[in-house]
Amino acid sequence: MKCVTLFRQDDHSWQAFGQDRDKPDNVIDTNQYMIRAGGSAILLDPGGMEVFPAMLAALTREIPVDEIKALFLSHQDPDIGSSLPLWRRVCRPDVKIYLSWLWAGFTAHFDRDATFTTIPDEGMEISLSHDVRLRFIPAHYLHSSGNFNVYDPKARILFSGDMGAALVPADRANGTMFVSDFAGHIQYMDGFHRRWLGSTRARDAWVAQVSKLDIDMLAPQHGLIFKGDDVKRFIDWIAGLEIGSGVASMNR
Amino acid sequence: MNQVSTPVRERTPRTDRIEARANGLLSDCRRAFHAFGELDELAENLRILSLNAELAAGRAGDKGRAVRALTQYTRELVNRLAQIQGEMNSLRGRTFALSSTILRGLSQMSLFERACGLIDDHDHDARAKSAADHAFHDIMRMLVDTLSDMANCVGELARRAHGVEEVVSQSDSIATNIAIEAAAAGVHEKEFRTVSDTMRHYVDDLRKMIDEASDAVRRASEKGESLRRLGMDSLGELGFNG
Repeated sequence: MKCVTLFRQDDHSWQAFGQDRDKPDNVIDTNQYMIRAGGSAILLDPGGMEVFPAMLAALTREIPVDEIKALFLSHQDPDIGSSLPLWRRVCRPDVKIYLSWLWAGFTAHFDRDATFTTIPDEGMEISLSHDVRLRFIPAHYLHSSGNFNVYDPKARILFSGDMGAALVPADRANGTMFVSDFAGHIQYMDGFHRRWLGSTRARDAWVAQVSKLDIDMLAPQHGLIFKGDDVKRFIDWIAGLEIGSGVASMNR
Repeated sequence: MNQVSTPVRERTPRTDRIEARANGLLSDCRRAFHAFGELDELAENLRILSLNAELAAGRAGDKGRAVRALTQYTRELVNRLAQIQGEMNSLRGRTFALSSTILRGLSQMSLFERACGLIDDHDHDARAKSAADHAFHDIMRMLVDTLSDMANCVGELARRAHGVEEVVSQSDSIATNIAIEAAAAGVHEKEFRTVSDTMRHYVDDLRKMIDEASDAVRRASEKGESLRRLGMDSLGELGFNG
């Protein structure tokens, strides 16, 4: 599994883990992110059970596992957090698990003993260290009805969950975790966004919300990471995309 | 920007071995419960037969006195079967809950075994390996405990099977005694003989059920014990025994 450092300033860093070459082909590729500051770390969307061994191995090259103080689940899907009971076995007993209030009872099906710190619909802010604060910002209905992104104003990185996700075929991966040709990348995210996203109102609200943020990198849970001008290119692209394509299959 | 890759995944031989045996154990438990699947129907048939036999015994007057006593005893056996059936249902629920815990534990153990294989290199510090080993050990200990509970369930299942076996044996004797009474029942002989033959037919069905279930229970019991030992040995190898 690859590990790429997206940002580093003193003890504050962002690292992305993904593109696991050894994962079974039928398991969707996911990106996991770790933010560290002041001796604490938070893992964003720690991943599904199947990626856990490779993820644990990759992560523990970077930090001792007991430095992970929190896990954040953007929503309830299995590729996001079915590894939860496994992480809880290696993390410190008081590890915090952040999750939308909507999904606590559902995610307990993965791990009935987990205690969740639930995020209200309007989001919340947490301190990772004395000077690094993270904002859990709402991204409901994109695609999950209880869904959050994570914004780090200091690193100027937005973890965008499924917004910006792309399904890049293995034979088209060119070894980088970043988008290098936005126009060429559209083909890998077009179908995903048209079908997985359903609410135009939610999309418009998200676009308005993130347009106000200073973002150097937009880091999705699948596919490649946008940086620099490609962040705005993505926001402009998604703002004009027709979504909810599954509706066409109803009442035929 | 740094970029590193982890090595290729390894197989999980220890977990595979335990998983194969656990699947065998669960399959034998399922077979035993399946074998007892028609117990309630047979018990109901026996109950109706005893009611009809009692009516026939009433019609036979004095010649039916002994048959009437036998049919009352048959109803007691039917009640015993119903009680065993109820206990078996709760045992089935417990066994399937334990099965689910075992399967979940095996799946987690396999993932941790894979993680231990990936971490066991010079790029990781001892703490990482220790955390993964500890997690593996905790799951193994949970699995050994669950297997012990499972072994208790199999033991209880064996006792219930023995209970059904006793009912079968006593029902067989009752059928024989009704046949003897039939020989001296004159005009009622045919009616009593039909009762006796039908009861024997049910007894044969119950016996087949017991043979199938007992075989499955015996195999489950052996596999459960061997699995528990394998789990204990693995705990010992991990150096966390006790």
